[in-house]
Amino acid sequence: MKIEITKEWCLRMAQREADAEIGAGLFALDPVFDGETSSVIETEEEPSIAFGRFVHLMRRQRGLTLEKLAEDTDVEIVELVEIEDDARHKPKLRTVYQLANYFRVPQTKLQQIAGLTVPRDSRLQEEAVRFAARSETVAALTPEENAALEAFIAVLSEQK
Amino acid sequence: MTVTTSPIYLLDVQNGEAVVAELWDSITERQLADWEAEWLPELFKAIQRLHRAGVERRLWPQSRHWNWRQKVKALQGMLAHPGFCVVCEGVTQGMMIVDTTTKRCRIDRQKGQHLVYVEFIENAPWNRPEMVTPPRYRGIGSILIRAAIALSQEEEFKGRIGLHSLPQANGFYANTCAMTDLGVDPEYEGLRYFEMTPEQAEAFIAKGSLS
Repeated sequence: MKIEITKEWCLRMAQREADAEIGAGLFALDPVFDGETSSVIETEEEPSIAFGRFVHLMRRQRGLTLEKLAEDTDVEIVELVEIEDDARHKPKLRTVYQLANYFRVPQTKLQQIAGLTVPRDSRLQEEAVRFAARSETVAALTPEENAALEAFIAVLSEQK
Repeated sequence: MTVTTSPIYLLDVQNGEAVVAELWDSITERQLADWEAEWLPELFKAIQRLHRAGVERRLWPQSRHWNWRQKVKALQGMLAHPGFCVVCEGVTQGMMIVDTTTKRCRIDRQKGQHLVYVEFIENAPWNRPEMVTPPRYRGIGSILIRAAIALSQEEEFKGRIGLHSLPQANGFYANTCAMTDLGVDPEYEGLRYFEMTPEQAEAFIAKGSLS
């Protein structure tokens, strides 16, 4: 089967692809190393309190309603409500991508906080727990909440 | 076996230049020999580096145990399981096996319709950022997905494709390919299932055509 693909297309898509991993396919047709896939599944089920708090506080810090944030990020308002209110809700990858772009934090780290990828960075996990413990979801941001949010953004934005 | 090759280009990450390459519509003995002689030694070296650096096993490349010879042997000769590969500078850079008959669409508005299901797709170890910094070539994933779409169109499936992504690759299918994420599939080892509609296939092709 001949496929016509231009040089320009190949190069533009190579730029977009960047350093993304591309693997797909089941483990099971070949021998599986013991206990490895289960760790991924466990992560999927852990609540991500810090992620919901992070979105909630970032929204409030900017004085945005849920409707406005939904409009600005092109994310369904229902999903934003679930993210903020339900720590067990697993957001869509696209949603995390949109929010990371909007709040200008690295999407890979935000995916980790959202529980969509296996934690690679234990310090980030510790900081996420600390952040969740320091922040309350009440009306206006207190100076302490603001400080906790800023400190967490700094950790998220760190270059490693 | 007749192999049709299509001219393509990859991006050489080191010098930022385009390199002439080929897309083959088959996986031949030559690819399997490359996998054994070129891919596996690099893979073992990369895993040794991760091991010595104290990286946990669950963060090692999730496809490292794949045996392409077994996969191709199991599916060889089945017209319903064609393969594709990318060859550059005489070496296989990426491989893909698809299934054109047994899987059906899951997205509501195209539920039950035929699609091209990507059984396996993998990059050569030296093109994988979690193993080599910087990786050698970029663009292989997009070209193989483009090939799956082209096959889907040829089969009159209108570009519909589906696959179960390895966790480390979720971002590629969600963002670069903009496929619909149907969430974790408990029936498939907890992998996320992604599906592409005809509109998404068109958008994916258009994405590389726009400046």
